[in-house]
Amino acid sequence: MRYHLVAIILHWVIALGILVLIAMGLAMTHLGLAPLLKFQLYQLHKSIGITVLLAVLLRLAWRLSHRPPPLPAMPPLEKAAAEGTHGMLYLLMLVIPLTGWALVSVSPFNLPTVLYGLVPWPHLPVFPDLVNKAEVEAVVKFIHGKLAWALTAIVALHAGAALRHHFILRDGILRRMLPLKDFRS
Amino acid sequence: MKRLALLAALSLLATPALAADWTVDVPHSHLGFSGIQNGAPFQGSFGAWTAEIAFDPAHPDAGHAKVTIELSSAKTGDLQRDGALPEAEWFDVKAFPEATFEASGFVAKGGDVYEAPGKLTIRGIAKDVVLPFTLTVTGDKAAAKGHLSLVRTGFGVGQGVWATAEWVGLDVGVDVDLVATKSGS
Repeated sequence: MRYHLVAIILHWVIALGILVLIAMGLAMTHLGLAPLLKFQLYQLHKSIGITVLLAVLLRLAWRLSHRPPPLPAMPPLEKAAAEGTHGMLYLLMLVIPLTGWALVSVSPFNLPTVLYGLVPWPHLPVFPDLVNKAEVEAVVKFIHGKLAWALTAIVALHAGAALRHHFILRDGILRRMLPLKDFRS
Repeated sequence: MKRLALLAALSLLATPALAADWTVDVPHSHLGFSGIQNGAPFQGSFGAWTAEIAFDPAHPDAGHAKVTIELSSAKTGDLQRDGALPEAEWFDVKAFPEATFEASGFVAKGGDVYEAPGKLTIRGIAKDVVLPFTLTVTGDKAAAKGHLSLVRTGFGVGQGVWATAEWVGLDVGVDVDLVATKSGS
């Protein structure tokens, strides 16, 4: 049994988005880019981040209303680890974009967000009106960055486990989430 | 009514016998501004403004002009920038809805070149500026063009993190391109 096509599409859209966002986030903060490029990267990071947040909300709604295909027989500890990893993924995929949104909302730059230069996106409430925006921004920025590293680790764990199932255990678990029907290992 | 009141006030202000009044054709005139963001130049314009002008080319020193600009009407064609301009960091239109330029005593500089020394008020900060302009009068029609260079931070435009030239240049230009009809005196 495979995942529903809707779940598969959302999974890979979110996966691609997360990888791009991590790469962008590192480039924005570590590469010392020219101002225009850096500025444009920040704007695109915000656009993709909100896109991923919306996709995660859809994925979560789909997941809660559709039973995923059952897991094959596996040790209870591994099953618990898989469920724990998925739980962490969902949690971080919600919290990280929200901290990013809060970061933009509390930024002393007070720049409106316009998704892909086309769709105005509001600030979160409360944050823009704080008196100590710079201090709050520093804290939220720290959290956003650390959680992104945590997500990177969890994603690596998730992908590593999927590859282990595919190439070592050969139990077909990865195929349930691949968009290609006749994929063979 | 406002215009009548202003004209009445002007007529009390000394010069009247020789001053001619002009009605500015706002839809065919242009009040623009320009600047540099992240190294890339941009241009914008004010959509809502009024001008009261009393000017006789034979007696420029007796002339008077008042331009009132609704700062919320500033548009540059970029949703993000246009969303930022009315905010407290820039024009702060809630606290300072209007900018004004009030000139009295034009100076003929030879040919069609004139200067309008006056007071420019933005964000409640008034500064003496001199607007050089060229004037072409054809019958009852007049066309005036002028350019003014300003340092935006002199008026507090760009607060906090925006108060340096890191992201947005401090030098901005104001372009005036007026078309007017003599309304008699």
